[in-house]
Amino acid sequence: MAPLEKTDLLQGTLDMLILKIVALGPVHGYGISQRIRQISKKVLQVQQGSLYPALHRLEKRGCLAADWGESENGRQAKFYRLSAKGRRQLATEEATWSRMSEAIALVLGAPRQEA
Amino acid sequence: MAWWKKVFRTHTPEEDLDREVAFHIEELTQTNICQGMNPVEARRQAVLEFGGREQVKQELRDLHSSAFLKGVSFNLSAAMRFIRRSPSFAAAVMLTLALGIGANSAVFSAIDAVVLRPLPFPSGDQLVVLYQHDSKNRDGNHFVAPVRLEDWNRMASTFQGISGYYKDDLSETSGPLAERVTEALVAPRFLQVMGTSPLLGRDFTAEEERFGGPDAALISYSFWQRRFQSDPEALGKKLHVGSFSYSIIGIMSASFLFPDQDVDLWTPSAPDAPYAQRRDSTWFTVIGRVKPGVTVANARADLATVQSRLGKQFPIPDADLTVELQPLKEVIVSDVRSSLWLLYGSVSLLLLIACSNIAALLLARTSDRTHELSIRFSLGASRRAVITQLLTEVFVLALAGSLLGLLVAGAATSALHSLSKTLPRAEEISLNWRIVVYSLACAFATTLLCGVFPAVRAARRELARDLAHSSRTQVSTRNPLQWILVGVQVMLAVTLLTGAGLLLRSLQELSRVSPGFDPSHILTFQISGSWGETSDMKNLIRRIDRTLDGLRALPGVEAAATGAGLPGVPSLYQVEFTIDGREDPNRQILADNRTVSAGYFDTMRIPLLAGEGCKQDSTTIDVIVNRSFQERYLNNTPPLGHVLKAAAYNDFSTQGTIRGVAGDAREQGLNTPAVPTVYGCFSAPNPFPNYLVRTRGNPLLMADTIRRSIHELEPGRAVYAMMPLQEHLDDSFFENRLRTILLTLFAVTAVLLACIGLYGTLNYLGRLRQREVGIRLAMGALRGQIAMRFLLQGMRVTLAGCIAGLLLSVAAGRMIAGMLYGISSLDRSTYVAVSLLILTVAAIASLLPAWRAARVEPVQILREE
Repeated sequence: MAPLEKTDLLQGTLDMLILKIVALGPVHGYGISQRIRQISKKVLQVQQGSLYPALHRLEKRGCLAADWGESENGRQAKFYRLSAKGRRQLATEEATWSRMSEAIALVLGAPRQEA
Repeated sequence: MAWWKKVFRTHTPEEDLDREVAFHIEELTQTNICQGMNPVEARRQAVLEFGGREQVKQELRDLHSSAFLKGVSFNLSAAMRFIRRSPSFAAAVMLTLALGIGANSAVFSAIDAVVLRPLPFPSGDQLVVLYQHDSKNRDGNHFVAPVRLEDWNRMASTFQGISGYYKDDLSETSGPLAERVTEALVAPRFLQVMGTSPLLGRDFTAEEERFGGPDAALISYSFWQRRFQSDPEALGKKLHVGSFSYSIIGIMSASFLFPDQDVDLWTPSAPDAPYAQRRDSTWFTVIGRVKPGVTVANARADLATVQSRLGKQFPIPDADLTVELQPLKEVIVSDVRSSLWLLYGSVSLLLLIACSNIAALLLARTSDRTHELSIRFSLGASRRAVITQLLTEVFVLALAGSLLGLLVAGAATSALHSLSKTLPRAEEISLNWRIVVYSLACAFATTLLCGVFPAVRAARRELARDLAHSSRTQVSTRNPLQWILVGVQVMLAVTLLTGAGLLLRSLQELSRVSPGFDPSHILTFQISGSWGETSDMKNLIRRIDRTLDGLRALPGVEAAATGAGLPGVPSLYQVEFTIDGREDPNRQILADNRTVSAGYFDTMRIPLLAGEGCKQDSTTIDVIVNRSFQERYLNNTPPLGHVLKAAAYNDFSTQGTIRGVAGDAREQGLNTPAVPTVYGCFSAPNPFPNYLVRTRGNPLLMADTIRRSIHELEPGRAVYAMMPLQEHLDDSFFENRLRTILLTLFAVTAVLLACIGLYGTLNYLGRLRQREVGIRLAMGALRGQIAMRFLLQGMRVTLAGCIAGLLLSVAAGRMIAGMLYGISSLDRSTYVAVSLLILTVAAIASLLPAWRAARVEPVQILREE
């Protein structure tokens, strides 16, 4: 599958994706971009230009907490983890998302009316 | 990394950003190397993939620094630049606002302390003053008998407690010199009702409030400071006041100034004293504290029931009495409230004028700044950003103005303190945080008032086009907004001026009044005495007559007399009389009752029209009536020899024979026409009557001589309240005069501001229309015509503003109608004078700019073209 352009990513979904990845365990920015790519089978490619602002925004809002720690290969990296607030945020966003996608699927799946 | 760096994380947020981004790129590079690229290529690819590194970092920085703060600091620095660039303009705006906001805050501080804030007693809104009204006795004597006070306190169910006080001026002799002190004699429960307790010591015990109990006194904070230098050892010390000796049991706090700030000590007045048992001897001003949640109406109804029960129990005199009550605060502030609101209204108008003036100035300036603003627009500034910037400029000026204004208000506040004689609660006026908040709010309001119009107008997008169309080709701009602002200023100034004019005219009317007595060259004073002396009236009369004789014998003294009240200072007594014992229910005989001694009419130079004045050694009780009394009640029959009898409750001269008729004198005050008056001849209406001494020269020069001679005559007594009668009269109009002076001051300032506004606007328009004028001149227009056009434009606006202002004055005049004397609030000459004045001044203010506008050199203009 061809990767989607950045603009194709629905507004607001990047935050949800980041929260979801971070929910799997503390991770640094590079790790987040890699995992989104891997898990989405390279469909979703997050530009660093939007990743880092999104991370910092979430951190500022209190959804994420960050600590400096050592990466797998022994370098200092900034690790993000989910805060309680972030957990709640993720839950609501997931719920909204699934309702939304179901609804969209229903609309798209409606049988074509013969004229 | 060194271990301590791990412990003390010393990186700045900026370093953190760097490291985070660097880490990402490192990881990308590493991945690329793993995929088989050579390290240089791997790094190049990583950097490429990461994209605009600096942009990301900048975005993150922006995210962290508060956009709001950045906007504020940008706008502030722009405002400072603006101020630096035109310091004189900024100074003018700041000063105008400093005066406007300062005056406004000062008057507000007075209103806040006097009218708005609750009384300085706990739950002060529960305190009410109780009066008794006597249907037989139309005077304002609202004092209450001690027994009745106790009855009320016992029977009224809506009250937590009822107490009362009366004041006595005495001499305190425990120190080396006799000192005059003011004593408040209080009914039981006084402090409980007021809701306070002493700062040091204790309240009266039940024992001390009973007759024959230990004599105890509470002293005021100022007396404590003055007499004992704030020594706590003062507790337990003895004071010799009058013929009593009190031990000090408590010291009140500095803020407890009730009944007024003159009170030096409080002592109990026992309700069970044998001399306090008569139901018709009235002493107390009664203060009650209603229970929580009880309204004045409820309490009034309750007391009416109580009094009607008392009326059945004691038909004489209680059946004739009704009870009235008023909130204490109302009693204290009702007299000055309207004056204060008037002043507040006028300073607010003044501030409005100042605002519209500044708004007009800003409009002119922003039009000058079109170029600057259009560049900002072209560079992508949003409309909101430009408006915010312009408003910030004004706000900085307004803020500086309001801070300067606080200085003005501070000065005014201390000036207000000196008015404590006429302004109740003046001592409570202070510059506190409420005033600071108020003046900051003023700064905000003025920012919006002066700033919004100019800012919105300047930020109109079309202005951006000016960059393309050079403004050179522009011929003329109509500026209705500017003219409306000028018109509003004129309107408000006219309103203020009319108000001031009306007050001035009333003062003038008042000074034209001939009072019927001659207040010049009269020195007044009192000599301490005590109510205890009234038990031996003969002795008291002898003492006072002796003092009067001593005064008359002094060289330089023409005449001397005593009076219960001061002439020209309102007394409350309106008493019902019968003539020769005839009672006519259809025809009440009400008269002002004044008690004066022999020599009074000579001293006051009130002419005697028939008979003779009071005599010192008369064996009968004599009265003198004035001409109004004779004309109204004696039907011009021969007046002398009739017997006048006062209705009950008048302590002195209950019955007397008319011995003379005196001319009418405005004894109730210069603003009140003479009323029928009965003068009872009696030199000792109370133990400390007012002495009136007519001197040959300046009365104050005699003060020392008089003091010394009294000291020789009565070494144990203190002389106090010494001042010329003229000053008393001035004092009784002090509030009147003060508000007139202030309002005049405001009005003059308003007119000045309006003129500056008119001048500035015309001047500005003149500059704006230079090109047009130049072309007109080149086409053959006459300079005179052009100047005339400008002049007429100014005058048209002034005329419109003037008419609107006069209409507004008609409405506003109704509010001050109660403060006027001798003229109506629609006084035609005031209105005409104000209109003429405004039109003249406006013409003068328009002349120079009009002339200047027409003085354009056409050649120069055409060359510029």
